Amino acid sequence: MSKKECIAMLLAGGQGSRLGALTSKIAKPAVSFGGKFRIIDFSLSNCSNSGIDTVGVLTQYRPYLLNNYVGSGEAWDLDERGAGVSILPPYATQEGGSWYAGTADAVTQNIGYIREHDPAYVLILSGDHLYRMDYRKMLKSHIEHGADLTVSVMPVPWEEASRFGIITKDDDDRIVKFTEKPEKPDSNLASMGIYIFSTDVLLNALEEDALDARSSHDFGKDIIPKLLENDGRLYCYEFHGFWKDVGTISSFHETSMDLLGENPEFDLYDKSFPIMSNITTRPPHYIGPEARVDDCLISNGCKVFGTVRHSILSTDAVVDERAVVEDSVLLPGARVKAGAHVVRAILGENSVVEEGVKLGSVDATKDTAVVGNDVVIGKGE
Amino acid sequence: MINRKALGYITANYTCRTRTKLLDERPFAALPIFGRYRLVDFPLSNMANAGIKTVGIVMPGNYRALIDHLSSGRDWMLDRKKGGLFMLPGNAFGSSKEGMCFLLRDIISNKMLFQRSDKPYVVMMGCNIIYNLDLAEIIEAHERSGAHATMVYTKAERAHDEDVTSLEIGEAGRVKALHPGCCYGDNKFLDCAIINREVLLQIIDRCGAMDYLDLFHALEPEFGRIDVCSYEFKGLSLGIFDEESYFQRSMDLLNPALNDKLFCPDRPILTKAHDAPPAKYTNGSVVCNSLISAGCAIKGTVRNSILSRGVVVEHGASVTNSIVMQGVVIKSGARVENAIIDKNNVVPASTELRGTPDATLVVAKAPVIAKKTVIID
Repeated sequence: MSKKECIAMLLAGGQGSRLGALTSKIAKPAVSFGGKFRIIDFSLSNCSNSGIDTVGVLTQYRPYLLNNYVGSGEAWDLDERGAGVSILPPYATQEGGSWYAGTADAVTQNIGYIREHDPAYVLILSGDHLYRMDYRKMLKSHIEHGADLTVSVMPVPWEEASRFGIITKDDDDRIVKFTEKPEKPDSNLASMGIYIFSTDVLLNALEEDALDARSSHDFGKDIIPKLLENDGRLYCYEFHGFWKDVGTISSFHETSMDLLGENPEFDLYDKSFPIMSNITTRPPHYIGPEARVDDCLISNGCKVFGTVRHSILSTDAVVDERAVVEDSVLLPGARVKAGAHVVRAILGENSVVEEGVKLGSVDATKDTAVVGNDVVIGKGE
Repeated sequence: MINRKALGYITANYTCRTRTKLLDERPFAALPIFGRYRLVDFPLSNMANAGIKTVGIVMPGNYRALIDHLSSGRDWMLDRKKGGLFMLPGNAFGSSKEGMCFLLRDIISNKMLFQRSDKPYVVMMGCNIIYNLDLAEIIEAHERSGAHATMVYTKAERAHDEDVTSLEIGEAGRVKALHPGCCYGDNKFLDCAIINREVLLQIIDRCGAMDYLDLFHALEPEFGRIDVCSYEFKGLSLGIFDEESYFQRSMDLLNPALNDKLFCPDRPILTKAHDAPPAKYTNGSVVCNSLISAGCAIKGTVRNSILSRGVVVEHGASVTNSIVMQGVVIKSGARVENAIIDKNNVVPASTELRGTPDATLVVAKAPVIAKKTVIID
């Protein structure tokens, strides 16, 4: 390719405030997931596996750990000459500078990056979704339709449709209506927040949006409705498979639990489309003489001396003697000390549950217990 | 911190005195151990953790597996513009491991590594004795001592060990003599030494006629003149010299206290990175006292064993007192006991592979065939 066909802009600046204690110290895309991964691994691996070698990562909220984790992108084979991963934080110019005011504004402020690479198409991604997707198929569909914008959509259960941005399409997959969280949805195709723009369309739309004082500078709320209003060629690309936005504590817990069992819908073990990660090397995990492990994912560096059922233990998590962990997620370095009992909980990185403490409830109507990173839970807390 | 004082020299060209199927297709230095490592990871990690950025590795003849593992050296932060990883030609093709492993001929033929460096010291290590030590501190101690060389030893804990060299240490820690073999309480040489680069270059120029000797053997007659000091390492060391010691020392690591000593987080043991997902335990799995690597899928029973990356233990299968290497599939109902199963084998359903505690069964690496349909006969 003399000219770059497609580059990706990965939106990773959000706070993820609904993840509460889990994002008090790190950005949502850097939150650990699935034992040895971090949420951004899924999008970066998708890019790598789809042959997209140029990825701008837009960061803003607590960026240090995220930037450090992404690094040069070499963990995802994205450290390419003249391409690769670029961290794009807000910056100042001679005219001043400002924080990213919205998803569209973040890209607007980095139009220079897009112009420098001069791609024919720009893929807009979120850094906080879990899915495996070959973007090449979506790009092919975009090109075949001669579209200005292609929105990736997936069917959701009708009763949940009012939680999503809903796309209504005609028989040729052309988008006729886009409604953000409709009360009475007339379609069950939800936008996945994955967009492919033809570059000139994107740049025009962003420049126009930047001048609009009433705009909230958001792709879903402003850019797409405006393009639709102006009769743009907007198409949808239907995706079938596992896709989750682990935006809340309960969806984080539920999606984690979905990885367990004999044949989970999301297969972490598919070698043809591997999920890559930038993880420190740790030795194999150790299962002690009295330990019981049933229906679990256990990562390197873990030590299990107690009982762990239907749970995920991330790198270096420790479960001491007589401790019981059930239906829970232990993030990297979390420790459950002797005799403690943890049920339906998410334990943050390097958090500790002290000896004999009981945490969480089997009652599924109650909230999942969450312990923040580095927090120590003693008796009576 | 980047170490400005030393460069590294690792001999990876020594082999086993007794034939083993484990080394049919790989050099000793590339032997997989503890689930995810290879022997060469230990000297490399010790050097990396001391900030050493120039390392020469003397290659064995059958270097494929070793080169595959080392690649550019980036997993040990050795893909540098200044310094880096240098693959050096070796002479000791097929030399067996007995005593030390710094053949003078290898040092002489790789003189350029030492000539080009501007570092005052050379750290030399072999691959057969595993430990995790603070090399930066030892380099400092060597510098403070003002000695020409420092040999690192530990107090031998086994009754008799003929594969190593013991040091006779005199006043002020000076090494007086070297003796083959080692008994309980002796000063067991760890195949780890620091030598002043200038001194080494002088030896290279002077000792050509003795190039069939190990470096320190060649120096032994001059111990009165050349100041060879000693440094006692008090941590864990595990010598791997043959099939039996490989099996026993591997099993030693099932003791969490020993495991913690070798894998202390302050000085991580680094190895080639892979992207294996966590190990998966399904309903009904029974696992105890075992080391399990990433990417394993366990539905059956595993006891007192070490499983490398991506091993599958199907329903009703059992693995006891065994080492199972990467990618092995143990089909349902099969039993593996007191065995070392090398890479990529498929143990068919309801078969038994048993050694005894005194005679470990070793199954050689299976050839890689499409879809891994390899059957052990």
